[in-house]
Amino acid sequence: MSASDDAPSDDTRDDLALVATGIAKVYGATCALRSARLALRRGRVHALLGENGAGKSTLVKILVGAVTPDAGHIALAGAPVAFGSVTQAIRAGIVPIYQHLSLFPELSIHENLSAFALAAGGGLWTGRRLVDPARARGWLKEVGLDVDLAAPLGSLSLGERQLVEVARALSLDCRVLVLDEPTAALNADEADRLFAVVRRLCASGTAALFISHRFDEIEALADEVTVLRDGRTVIDAAPIGRHSREELTHAMLGAGVEAAPARLSERAAPVLVGRGLAAGRHGRGSLDVIVHAGEIVGLAGLIGSGALSLAATLGGAQAGPGELSVGDASFMPGDRRRAAALGIAYVPADRHAEGLFGALSARRNASVSGLGRLARLGWLRARAEAQMVDPLLRRLKLHPALPEAEAATFSGGNQQKLLIARGLAVPGLKAMVLLEPTRGVDVAARGVIHDAIREAAASGVAVLVATSDLDELMVLAHRYLVVREGTLAAELPRSAPRAALLAALSGSAAA
Amino acid sequence: MMAKRLPGTSRPLRLSRPPAVALVCLGLFLLCCAFVPRFATFGNIENVLRVASILCVVACGQAVVILLGGIEFSFGASAALASVVTVMALPVLGPVGGLATGGASVIAIGAVNGFLVGRLALPPVIVTLGTLMMASGAAAWLVGGLPIDAPPSAAFSWPARGRVLGVPVPILAALLACAALHLMLAHGRIGRLWYHVGANPVAARLAGLDVTRITTLGYAVAGAFCAVGAIILTSRVASGQPALAPNLPFETIAACAIGGLPLSGGRGRVSQVVFGVLTVAMLNNAVVLINLPVAWQLVLLGLAVLAAVGLQKDWAVLARLARRTDR
Repeated sequence: MSASDDAPSDDTRDDLALVATGIAKVYGATCALRSARLALRRGRVHALLGENGAGKSTLVKILVGAVTPDAGHIALAGAPVAFGSVTQAIRAGIVPIYQHLSLFPELSIHENLSAFALAAGGGLWTGRRLVDPARARGWLKEVGLDVDLAAPLGSLSLGERQLVEVARALSLDCRVLVLDEPTAALNADEADRLFAVVRRLCASGTAALFISHRFDEIEALADEVTVLRDGRTVIDAAPIGRHSREELTHAMLGAGVEAAPARLSERAAPVLVGRGLAAGRHGRGSLDVIVHAGEIVGLAGLIGSGALSLAATLGGAQAGPGELSVGDASFMPGDRRRAAALGIAYVPADRHAEGLFGALSARRNASVSGLGRLARLGWLRARAEAQMVDPLLRRLKLHPALPEAEAATFSGGNQQKLLIARGLAVPGLKAMVLLEPTRGVDVAARGVIHDAIREAAASGVAVLVATSDLDELMVLAHRYLVVREGTLAAELPRSAPRAALLAALSGSAAA
Repeated sequence: MMAKRLPGTSRPLRLSRPPAVALVCLGLFLLCCAFVPRFATFGNIENVLRVASILCVVACGQAVVILLGGIEFSFGASAALASVVTVMALPVLGPVGGLATGGASVIAIGAVNGFLVGRLALPPVIVTLGTLMMASGAAAWLVGGLPIDAPPSAAFSWPARGRVLGVPVPILAALLACAALHLMLAHGRIGRLWYHVGANPVAARLAGLDVTRITTLGYAVAGAFCAVGAIILTSRVASGQPALAPNLPFETIAACAIGGLPLSGGRGRVSQVVFGVLTVAMLNNAVVLINLPVAWQLVLLGLAVLAAVGLQKDWAVLARLARRTDR
């Protein structure tokens, strides 16, 4: 390792293409970025790693000009810059390639390649000229595409379209190429082709920022890596190979607290049984999961592993192959209504989009799954509703303790308590499936929610918790199921050390 | 202190706060009394209430759909179709049977809308526009484009001109419609489910609710409210009119919007609908009394809707700002 590789903090080196330091961004009560640093060097591919909520996407949005930071400095080739819009950033040479392609399938390849030139064009009419076909063909050649300029973009495969997007970046003086999970929709061949193009571009001096969750890709393409955790840069521009996968995973997830011993209840009869399930859209239907009465099973997996998807399937929220049963009754994946009727509570991962009824009161949020029990001849008994839900809200220490206040007015932690209360109020509760039950939740609420989950298990409910939070997993679960790349990679006992879990999560050989 | 508030079971009975639109409505009433000639006469007030009552019954249906996060454009056309169907069925089924058949056709259109929106997940704007055009076309086709008169009969004119204990039947119908909607929304299971689906349909599904059935039922119930309004309208004009009430959907949407129901769904009370309807009815009446061209009704109504929705948005922004400075 040369000496220059070991000096990532020196911002004055002249091979730096882009340096962002002390970047901070606050959204309402959430601190998305506290103090992030990112230094990209000319001619290098730089990988950016971080779990969901680490601030990765916010940092990328800031770099491409979509979001203005609250604090921090960005320097492009040594000169300070501040972008007010994506257009400004693109003109300065920071070109984003999105996972959701930002091209126009109905237009021709030529028109798509001219998009930046058209956007830059002045008047209503003068700007309508397309770029010189010879130049356009040159860019296509550079990314290795041999296609007719007049053909509609829609006639190309997804991988080829992504290459067109890269070719379009060549129409500008592209200094930094930002690739945000560019391979999400590509097959292995298309990804290889894209990588080859990125490498060739970098060889001519462009810097590339590469965001991906797949270690294989990162190791194959990137020269350097930066890891974000909790809005801060925890590994700053380290050369690839200096840190093992395990160390990187550890950096992403944090050292955390030592696991507190949970009361282990005795193994009892299987309650929630899934057979032939799939984790993720591309997974094969071959996974079996059994959760016993009184047991808390921790389903672990990095983002994109399929862990959340498998958990959603087990809760009846997501359709897919396989079959599910609770007790003697069976139900199909995706039949959430029947699952709820059979006593399966489900707490979704995305609180606002999938869980909360913001316009309705806290009490109504908590009682919704038990309305059938509260109604007599179609008439809701208000007193019975309060009697069913209010003790739960008290136990979860809802604050402020106003069950008639609108759910939208509560803090994130207290909103999450409402979803937990809703789960606990499911009539005939037999199993609970919780996805990221304490994501974005403060420490106090987290403790209360964990206690409630343990209490439910102690009373004989089968609990499955899917979380990317390793600490949470270790304080809650009686055993761990590790999902990696759509398969159940490992089953570990509660006594398994943290290192073993990390190894299983990241898929490194050393256990 | 907190714990004392939580039980909620021994909460003292309190009247819920009047909606903001009540003030607007009251202000408009006082303005009209002061400045509009012949407004504050007994006959005119009864006339305003009579017009408002039909609007109110139909607006109750519109409110259900808006609560669900949808919108109903087909009401006017289905009312027109109902009038045509009623008059054509009159010789065979008599006045009661005829009116019932007309009403049933409106409920059927509502149920079709509900099925298309709820089961097939088509956008409500497109679905109800589609049924609007079909109902309108069918009504014109059935009568060959021209209105047909109904033979006069006491039973046939009762819904529009009858009185029960001195109260005009349309006003009575409006009161009953409001009471029914209030019971459904405040105490009924189905009303609660509408709120849930309107507030967040994804969360409603994941909570185990049958979103399809709830939505379908909501549009059918909305159709039932509109059916009552259509019966009164048909009885009033005593004919089958293929262009009976083209502005009915706009006026009812306006009433709900002015009342403060967000078009995104999930919120709303009957009192808001009532005051919204009264505001619309007074505006329309004032335009006539001031001798402005009747076309100004729509212009003013449009302005009122834009102002109401704009204010709503403004208030929401203010509320959010207030919350942020609290923290």
